[in-house]
Amino acid sequence: MTDSALSDLRVVELAQGIAGPYCGKLFADLGAEVIKVEPLDGDLSRRLGPFPDDEPDPETSGLYLHLNTGKKSVTLDVAVTSGQVVLKKLLEKADVLIAGKGILSIPGLAYEDLSAAFPRLVYVSITPFGTTGPYAGYHGNSLTAMAMSSIMYSTGEPDREPLTTGGTPADYIAGIHAWIGAQAAIEQRERDGAGEHVDVSLAEAAACADEYNGAMYAFQGAIRRRYYSRHVFGYPMDIMACQDGHVVVVPGAAGFPSRGMTEAGSVSPMSLLMGNPELDQHPLFQSAQERMCRWQEVDELLQPWLAGTSAKEIVELAQALRMPFAYVPNVKDLLEDEHLTARNFFRNIEHPRAGELPYCGPPFRMSETPPQVERAPLRGEHNASTLRELGYSKEEQDILHERDVT
Amino acid sequence: MTKPLDGVRVLDLTQVFAGPSCTRILSDLGADVIRMEAPARADVTRSLMHVDNDGQEVPWERGFYFTIRNAGKKEIVLDLNQLRAQEILRDLIAQSDIVAESFTPRVMRAWELDYEHLKAIRPDVIMISLSGYGQDGPCSDWSAYGMSLEPASGVSQLTGYAGGAPMRSGLSFTDPYSGFLGAGAVLAALHYRRRTGKGQYIDLSEQEAAVPLAGAAIMDFAMNGRLPERIGNRSASAAPQGCYRCAGDDDWIVISIANDGGWAAFCDAIGHPEWKDDARFADVLSRHANHDALDQLIETWTRDQDHYEAFHLLQRAGIAAAPVLNGKELLLDPHMRARGQFDEVEQPHQGKRPVQRHLAAKFSKFEASADAAAPTFGQHNKEVLGGLLGLSDEELAQLERDGVIASAPTLPVPAQYISRALKLPYDRFLELGTLRALEPDYKQTLGLE
Repeated sequence: MTDSALSDLRVVELAQGIAGPYCGKLFADLGAEVIKVEPLDGDLSRRLGPFPDDEPDPETSGLYLHLNTGKKSVTLDVAVTSGQVVLKKLLEKADVLIAGKGILSIPGLAYEDLSAAFPRLVYVSITPFGTTGPYAGYHGNSLTAMAMSSIMYSTGEPDREPLTTGGTPADYIAGIHAWIGAQAAIEQRERDGAGEHVDVSLAEAAACADEYNGAMYAFQGAIRRRYYSRHVFGYPMDIMACQDGHVVVVPGAAGFPSRGMTEAGSVSPMSLLMGNPELDQHPLFQSAQERMCRWQEVDELLQPWLAGTSAKEIVELAQALRMPFAYVPNVKDLLEDEHLTARNFFRNIEHPRAGELPYCGPPFRMSETPPQVERAPLRGEHNASTLRELGYSKEEQDILHERDVT
Repeated sequence: MTKPLDGVRVLDLTQVFAGPSCTRILSDLGADVIRMEAPARADVTRSLMHVDNDGQEVPWERGFYFTIRNAGKKEIVLDLNQLRAQEILRDLIAQSDIVAESFTPRVMRAWELDYEHLKAIRPDVIMISLSGYGQDGPCSDWSAYGMSLEPASGVSQLTGYAGGAPMRSGLSFTDPYSGFLGAGAVLAALHYRRRTGKGQYIDLSEQEAAVPLAGAAIMDFAMNGRLPERIGNRSASAAPQGCYRCAGDDDWIVISIANDGGWAAFCDAIGHPEWKDDARFADVLSRHANHDALDQLIETWTRDQDHYEAFHLLQRAGIAAAPVLNGKELLLDPHMRARGQFDEVEQPHQGKRPVQRHLAAKFSKFEASADAAAPTFGQHNKEVLGGLLGLSDEELAQLERDGVIASAPTLPVPAQYISRALKLPYDRFLELGTLRALEPDYKQTLGLE
């Protein structure tokens, strides 16, 4: 059996929804023991679905199954003293605590409450705006974070409202930053023996992804606006409709003829792709600036060709000409994609209640310690084994359960 | 202030956005990151967007996209077409804990710089490749830009207005996303190496990295055969949720109301308690069913409000809301400033400038900040080759004469042509609407002079 990169770490995940659980999932997929502490009625995502045949069942929520692979589940009421006593026993053996929003305001569970008793603990909090600063304690979610990041302002159509990116990206980005931060703090602990607080906010995590909205102002005084989500330095570089769907049209640095770059007498890749070498003489083919400013005319030039050509023809020929065109797959296309299949990206995993389903594979490969994706736990599946390991007798476990602590 | 990666050396062969974001985080965590460029192949972002839209006579030192991604790193410039440069590179690899690269897979194999070759030079090296489609599979040698890969990952099919076409985000989304994941992967590999002494190879496909954002939609398709519909800014559960026009030319606020209590608090906070009695919006299901009408009603209030004032008013009432910040507002936001989202660096040929953080984690013991400017072209040739590899001044001078190392790029045309060609037509962009404004006094506004 192969080793795992983080198999010596124990993580307690006290977080619901997406951001904290994605952080925990990254630890679990890399082999850490992740104990997910859920409220007695389960993580919020157990109620969100999707569910098979749309029948709500906390054990078959697709969102929960996706985000909680490879973890152990312990149900525990951490708002009451009896629950906190159990939690603290868990923390004695933990390297990392992932604290989601709502946790920090529970008396006894803030970083300051725990740092003295657990000096080696890395306490990672994930909140909408962070724990300090004028908006500390403000409410939010992925949408508010995308709004704060400036990314939303530059996404969407110019005459309509700004648009968020799909898939609640700020939740995932914050989860990744929390995972990076926790690992950095563990590395620091190797040197000085002490844990620390790692304070991650959704708004800043999304703002860290900004490409150049802030920089255009900081270095030029320019305020960039959304304009069909286009880059400011080239056109076409966008999703366009074709005969049987959509493709990403990205001619790239060498796609159009350019003075000093294209050899005399050669034909540009875009003209070849469109099957019309004379296009190289077209003024729009010869000037990047004109293409950006007169983009409607560019669209008119491209549309008859796009409308008569399939996505497969366009992308394959463009790639043969070394232009970075791409497909625009939906989830069905992804699941059936030849390339992803050849790389064994999706993993079919059996779950006792939800059956066999396709799960996303790890977001990267590691040669010595391949990340693993294993099934998500049932609610409270590991209550007995975990409590036993913490030294609770069967009788004590029964009392904790009867008194609504576990 | 010590940092967790003090003493860790990274050889950074990456370019543009994804790779440099990954190594920028490692640098901010204390690693000694040494970038490598080639005289005839400077990072394209060195000249992509120029300070004050003017490359002047040094366009490769005026690109600010390069500055924000590479602040705090060092740089050497080697012409790998020369055998001596290849030897120097091998000596550097022998002294590097981590090697990062972002070429299409065939490039590193052609140079004999793939993991097997690196491992022969330094057995415990950790190598990370960030590529569009990964190192194997039928599309692995496809060329890819960041703007190709967000759609390729499936995210664009989830992005767009209700009933509209799939859309890209206003950035090369998978680039920073993959860079962040790559930094975390490197930390995990370092942790493993500390425990076992073993290095390893990390293969990150940008396409795959972002697929998990579609995780719930993938499950829904597998469970119910259903494809997701685009829903703009709405939520499948919270209602209302949306982006609403405020007073001003192009100012907006997002609002998300989770439940009945939130709806009542919202109506009271904005001075419309009578809305609570409107049967169309009384419960969460009716708020979903009548979301269009509800959006119109909410906008009758927001469109007279300042987006920042409305934000504070709603937050004080316990409602999730945020102003939709543009680039200027992001830099000036009091909370972003208080928490240090931007570090100030003194950039040669560019002046004093704020550069954004790439890691959002705030640590008790240290700052994950950029602690120096981005390197000028080949700025650290002498420091790295002299200090680390022990080359003498005479040897370095000879290398420079032979063109093995360089401190200015080899340009295909004179510098002023490049500056002119890459000047963006901002007056026309203002007309078109891709820019909201161009403010000549921005440095005073930001307190930079």
